[in-house]
Amino acid sequence: MIVAELKPFKEIENMLRDYKKVMVLGCGTCVTVCMSGGERQVELLASALRMAGRLERNEIIAGEKTILRQCDPEFIDQIKDEASNYDAILSMACGAGVQGVAERLAGIHILPAMNTTFIGVSDGQGTWIEACAACGDCILDRTGGICPVARCAKSLINGPCGGSKGGLCEVSKNNPCVWQQIYARLGKLNLINLLKGMSQPKTRPVHPRKLVNPKNAFG
Amino acid sequence: MNDKAVPPCQAACPIHTDVRGYVSAIAKGDVEEAIRIIRQVNPFPSSCGRICTRLCEKACRRAQIDEPISIRELKRFASDQTLGLKLIEIPENSYEEKIAVIGSGPAGLTAAHDLALLGYRVTVFDSQHVLGGMLSQGIPDYRLPKDLVKKEVDNILALGVEAKTGLSLGQDFTLEELLKDYQAVFIAVGSQKSLLPKYNGVELNGVIAAVEFLKQVSRGHKPRLGKNIAVIGGGHTAIDAARTSVRLGASDVTIVYRRTVDEIPAGPEEVEHAEKEGIKIIYLAAPVEFSGNEKVQSVRFIKMQLGDLDKSGRRRPVPIENSEFEITADTVILAIGYMPDAEVLKESGLNISRSGTVLVKDYTGITNIHDVFAAGDVVSGPQSVIEAIASGRRVAEALHHYFRTMPDKEEKNFMALKELDDGIVKLINKSERQKMPALKVEERITNFDEVDLGYSKDQAVMEAQRCLNCGAGAVVADNCAACLNCVRICPYGIPFPGKEIAEIDISQCQACGICASECPASAIILQLEAKENNRAELEKAVDIAREETPEILIIGFYCRYGSPIGPPFDEDEVCWLGKFCTGRMDEHQFIYPFELEVDGVVIHMCKNDECRFRDGNQWSKSHIKSAKKILNEIGIGADRLDIISEEDFHNFRNKLHALGINPLRTGKKVKT
Repeated sequence: MIVAELKPFKEIENMLRDYKKVMVLGCGTCVTVCMSGGERQVELLASALRMAGRLERNEIIAGEKTILRQCDPEFIDQIKDEASNYDAILSMACGAGVQGVAERLAGIHILPAMNTTFIGVSDGQGTWIEACAACGDCILDRTGGICPVARCAKSLINGPCGGSKGGLCEVSKNNPCVWQQIYARLGKLNLINLLKGMSQPKTRPVHPRKLVNPKNAFG
Repeated sequence: MNDKAVPPCQAACPIHTDVRGYVSAIAKGDVEEAIRIIRQVNPFPSSCGRICTRLCEKACRRAQIDEPISIRELKRFASDQTLGLKLIEIPENSYEEKIAVIGSGPAGLTAAHDLALLGYRVTVFDSQHVLGGMLSQGIPDYRLPKDLVKKEVDNILALGVEAKTGLSLGQDFTLEELLKDYQAVFIAVGSQKSLLPKYNGVELNGVIAAVEFLKQVSRGHKPRLGKNIAVIGGGHTAIDAARTSVRLGASDVTIVYRRTVDEIPAGPEEVEHAEKEGIKIIYLAAPVEFSGNEKVQSVRFIKMQLGDLDKSGRRRPVPIENSEFEITADTVILAIGYMPDAEVLKESGLNISRSGTVLVKDYTGITNIHDVFAAGDVVSGPQSVIEAIASGRRVAEALHHYFRTMPDKEEKNFMALKELDDGIVKLINKSERQKMPALKVEERITNFDEVDLGYSKDQAVMEAQRCLNCGAGAVVADNCAACLNCVRICPYGIPFPGKEIAEIDISQCQACGICASECPASAIILQLEAKENNRAELEKAVDIAREETPEILIIGFYCRYGSPIGPPFDEDEVCWLGKFCTGRMDEHQFIYPFELEVDGVVIHMCKNDECRFRDGNQWSKSHIKSAKKILNEIGIGADRLDIISEEDFHNFRNKLHALGINPLRTGKKVKT
C-alpha cells in the first residue's frame, strides 16, 4: 500500500491562495487505509480551510468529495461534472492519484495536499513502515522476506555496514539494522547459506516505467 | 450473526415493544419520546408499568453481567411523568363497519383502541359497571391504583369508543342480536370463573374464591374474614388475596403453595412484599379437607415433594404419605385456577374446548360462528395482561384485514440477538440495579395506598443508562476501505477482517462508537447516534443559545455516563450537549462548533477509571489533542478548546475572555 501524509497546513493554504472554490478530493483506497486522505480527513481539512480562509479575508468554498481511487480514470469521471464548478481540486491522494486526476480533468488546476512517502505495511495501530522501494529487481528470496533496499538506511544489498551496533542502525538509533534482522530470520529458517551468494549491483530503473499486460492490452 | 435480529427484550415482549428505544430515550431524559414509543403498541402503559409479568426482563442480557434492566419500572416512570400529555389524535371515522367487543379487559379494550384508530366504530359491552376487567377489579389498589386504570380506559373511550355497561352476554343480549347491528363481534370476556377443588368441606361458609373476594373489595366492600386466613395457591391472585386480607385486619395470614419458592408463579418480589407484611408462606403442601361446623374452622393439608416433570414443564408435586397437618382458619381463600364461564359461551353456539376455552382458528381469533372472533384469556385460559393486550392487537389487525379484504398478514418473526460471549461479559462494568422506593411496612398494611412509589427522575435515568443498547451498535457500510483500524482499536475486540470489508458482530457490539469516530472512510455507522443528527443537534443548540446573545458562547460536551442527571454544572455562557461517552466524538465534532462561530468548546469527561467503555477517555483526549493542533494551524487558537472539570472551568473562562470572541466573528487571526 502507498503511504502518504498531509502536507503542513501552511503550505496547503499558500497553494490555495488564489482560489475561491476548491474541491477537497479524498481517495478511498491507500490513503484511506493509512488514515491520511480518506473521507474523514477530507471533512476535517475542508472545515479547516474554510475557517482559515475566512480569517485571511479570503473566504473559500471548500467542497468535499471522495472517490474510490484517483489513479483510475473511470472513478475520476464520476466527479467530472461536479468538478467543473470549482477553480481547483485539492487532491488528498498519493502523487499518482494527483496526476491521474490532473490528466483526466486537464482544465482544472489540481493541487497535492499530501506528501507521498513510501510503499509500506501496517505495523500495528496507527503505524506504517516502509517496506518496498519499487526497485524493479526483487531479491526478497535471498533475504528472508525482508527488503534491504527499502529498509536499510544505505540500501546495502550484500550485508551490513560497519555501523550496525547492538542490532540498531547507526543512521537512526530508532531503527533496527535490517541486515541483523535478515541474518536472524535466515537463521531461523536454516538458510544462512543464502548469505554466501553475492547480489549483483542493481541497475537503476529508467523512468518512467510502464507495465503492459499483453493479455489485456491487445486492443 | 444475524443483523436483523432484535434485542432480546423486544423479541420476548408479546407486543414487541421497542424497549431499547424507550429506555434509551429515558437515558437522555426524554420522557415524551419514551412514552410515544410505548404508546405506539400499548394503550395500557400505566398498568403494564406496574403489573406486567416482564418477559422482557427475563430476556435482558444485562443479567449476564449483573441484573436485568428494570424495564417495567422505567415504563411506569415514562407513563407517570406524562399523564397529562395528549399523545393520540382522535381518529376520523373512515369505515362504515361497526364492531361489538364483549368484555372490557385489556384484550377487549386494546382491540377497541386499535380498531378505533384504524377508523372503525366500536362499542364495548361489559357485564360490570366499571370498565377495565381484571385491571380495575381483580388487582388491588396497592399494586395498581384504580384511578390510573380509569385514566387509561378513558383515553380509549376518548377515541370515540362507545361503552355499554351492566349488560351480560346470554342474559341481556345474544350474539345473534348483536350480529344484526354489528358487522363483527369480538369476544374477550376473559377467564374469571374460579376453579374449586373437590375436597370435603369446600362448600362450608368461609371458603371463598380469591377473584370474587378481590372484586368485592375493589367495589368498596370489607368482608369480615376473621383472624386466621389460609390462602391456597401461588399465583398473583393468591398473593393479592393474602395481602388484601392483611389490609382488612387479618392478623394471621398463611399462603399454602404446593410447589417450592422456585416455582411460585407470583415471583420473588411479590413473595418478598408479602413476607415483609407478615404473611407466612408454607411451600410443598396441598389441602385435603376443610373442616368446621357450617363455617370453616380448619384446613388439613398434606406435605408434598416434587416428582417428575408434568406437561407444563414443572416438577409435579406428589403427596408424602402420613404427613398431614392442620391449620386453623376463619376464612379459606382459594386461588388455584380459573377458567372461562363456558356455559354461556356454549349456549351462544361457540365451540368450546374441554377446559372451557373458546376454540379459534388461529391468532386471527376466527371462531366457528361467522363474523364472531375471540381472543384473550377466554381463548388461552388465564394469561398475563401483556398477553391479553397482544391478542387484542392481533385480532384488531385481523378484523381490519378481514373487512378490507386484505390477505392475512404474516406474523413477523422477531428473532432475538444471541447471548453475549463470556469474553465480552467480563469486559463490561457492573452497575447496580436501582431499587424501587416503597412505603414502609407499617405505612402500608392498614390501607390500600400504592406500595411501590416509582423511580425518581435521577433513578430512572441512571437505570436506563444501564441498558446495553443491544443491537444498536456499529454497522459497517459498503465504503469500508478494509483498513482494519476498527479491528485494532475496539476495546472489546469485536470487529474482525471479513473477506472484503471489516465485519462487526452486532450481537456483541457494545455501541461505544470508538470505531466510528476513528474510521477513516466514515464507513461505520453508529445506529444510536447518526452523524447527521450530531451535526443537526449542534447547529440547533448553537442557534438557540445565540438568541440569548451571550457575549461569549461556549459549547460544552459532557459524558452522560459521567454526569447521568444532566450537565455537570450550570454556567450561563455554556450550552451543554450530552454524549454517551465522549470517546465516540471525532476531531471534526470538536472543531465544527468554531466554524459555527462558537467562542469556546469545553469537554467534561467521566473520571479516568470510570469510563463505561474502557478506552473512551483515552480516545477523547487523543481527538481533542488533534483538534487543538488544527485550531492552532488555522489561527483560531488551541486554547479555545479544553477538557475541564467544574473546578478549573473558571480558569478556562478567564482565559477565553482574555482571548476574546471567536476570530471568525472579527476576522482577526490569532498569532500562533
